[in-house]
Amino acid sequence: MRGRLPVKPASAAARERLKAAMARLAGGDRGALEEIYRATSAKLFGICLRILGDEKEAEDALQDVYINLWRRADRYDPGRASPIAWLATFARNRAVDRLRAGKLRQASVGEEEAAPIADASPLAEDLLIDAEREARVHQCIEKLEDEPRSAIRSAFFEGRTYADLAESSGTPLGTMKSRIRRALARLKTCLEKGE
Amino acid sequence: MTDAPRPDDDTLTAEYALGLLEGEELLAARGREASDPSFAAAVAWWQDRLAPMLDEISPATPRAEVWRRIEEALDGAAPSAEVIDLRNRMRRWQVFGTVSAAAAAAIAVFAFTFMTLPTTPQVQPQAEAPLVASVPIADTDLRLAVTYLPDRGELLVSASGLTADGVHDHELWLVPQDDTPLLSLGVVAPGEERRVTLEPAVAAKMADGAPLLLTREPLGGKPEGVDAGPVVAEGQLKKI
Repeated sequence: MRGRLPVKPASAAARERLKAAMARLAGGDRGALEEIYRATSAKLFGICLRILGDEKEAEDALQDVYINLWRRADRYDPGRASPIAWLATFARNRAVDRLRAGKLRQASVGEEEAAPIADASPLAEDLLIDAEREARVHQCIEKLEDEPRSAIRSAFFEGRTYADLAESSGTPLGTMKSRIRRALARLKTCLEKGE
Repeated sequence: MTDAPRPDDDTLTAEYALGLLEGEELLAARGREASDPSFAAAVAWWQDRLAPMLDEISPATPRAEVWRRIEEALDGAAPSAEVIDLRNRMRRWQVFGTVSAAAAAAIAVFAFTFMTLPTTPQVQPQAEAPLVASVPIADTDLRLAVTYLPDRGELLVSASGLTADGVHDHELWLVPQDDTPLLSLGVVAPGEERRVTLEPAVAAKMADGAPLLLTREPLGGKPEGVDAGPVVAEGQLKKI
């Protein structure tokens, strides 16, 4: 999964258009929501699908993301990150919340739905988040030792908590925490060098 | 829950941004994110730097039906988020109007001033002004409406529209602004409006800006000595 497309010249323009649409959204423009949906739903659906592993759940999560975006359009700070980074993080966090709530539901109901496979869309415009920082975070993650790196990645992509990670690897919780905390400190130092 | 030392904020914000925390540690971090701007900025720092990892994930086109469902959910709603919020506030007053005559009278006064003076903040004696929070329930149009009447020490929680699933209860928590442990405001009664008188120790922490969290728990609420369940909704008390 490390192979990535080179940044297209179009992506900077796409990001500016998205930023403008986010500003209109905060002003209550419904057309802006549709524009944002057209530009970003494939990326955000991919994220929801990867985290939830179930098309139905991912569709519900995606719906939830855009409805919440509309209701709380003021949450995005234009001065902060690229809008696509913010949206991707928002979708990732909502999907993780849903995953955890769902696990609890499944545990109590003991029922699991089949997970159909969604069509990947090679045509969706590739709004890459941020070419330079992308390189940076990967570079920094790569420098970590194998164990904490894989733990950090599964927390990020699979919504796994300290307790999950400790249990699945048979490591005492305190050991797992110390190990990851050391890695996070190294990760921060490395990321800061890229600022 | 931990035998490792309490982490500094650099570490804690990274743990929170990655999603490593759960239970009360997660609740506390969410509360700080909502109430402490420097903590929130540190969380944002991590999120922005981790976000590019999400480029690894291939895009996938959702079915056309999803956009239709989003439009349906928004239709009937007002054209701007601000107006939606205002409408919800007004609806809440109507709901609470049925709770008690005294509360209804107080609410009518506030609703009236709110309607006639939408841009002028009302100067109310601090101890008297009700605190309200509207807690949107994930994936639904529903909101948990919370009103606190300081002069009576009464908390009104409206969960009309919520239905019980028979397996879980939802518990409401106050995140005190002084970093002390979370305080339970009780289990939410689905489909009901509930009025409770708060203990003075809890009432003392009900403050403008304090975050509220809703967690999913086993029936009867969080068992003693067990971590709280997942956070399913959050809101913030606001003085009106």
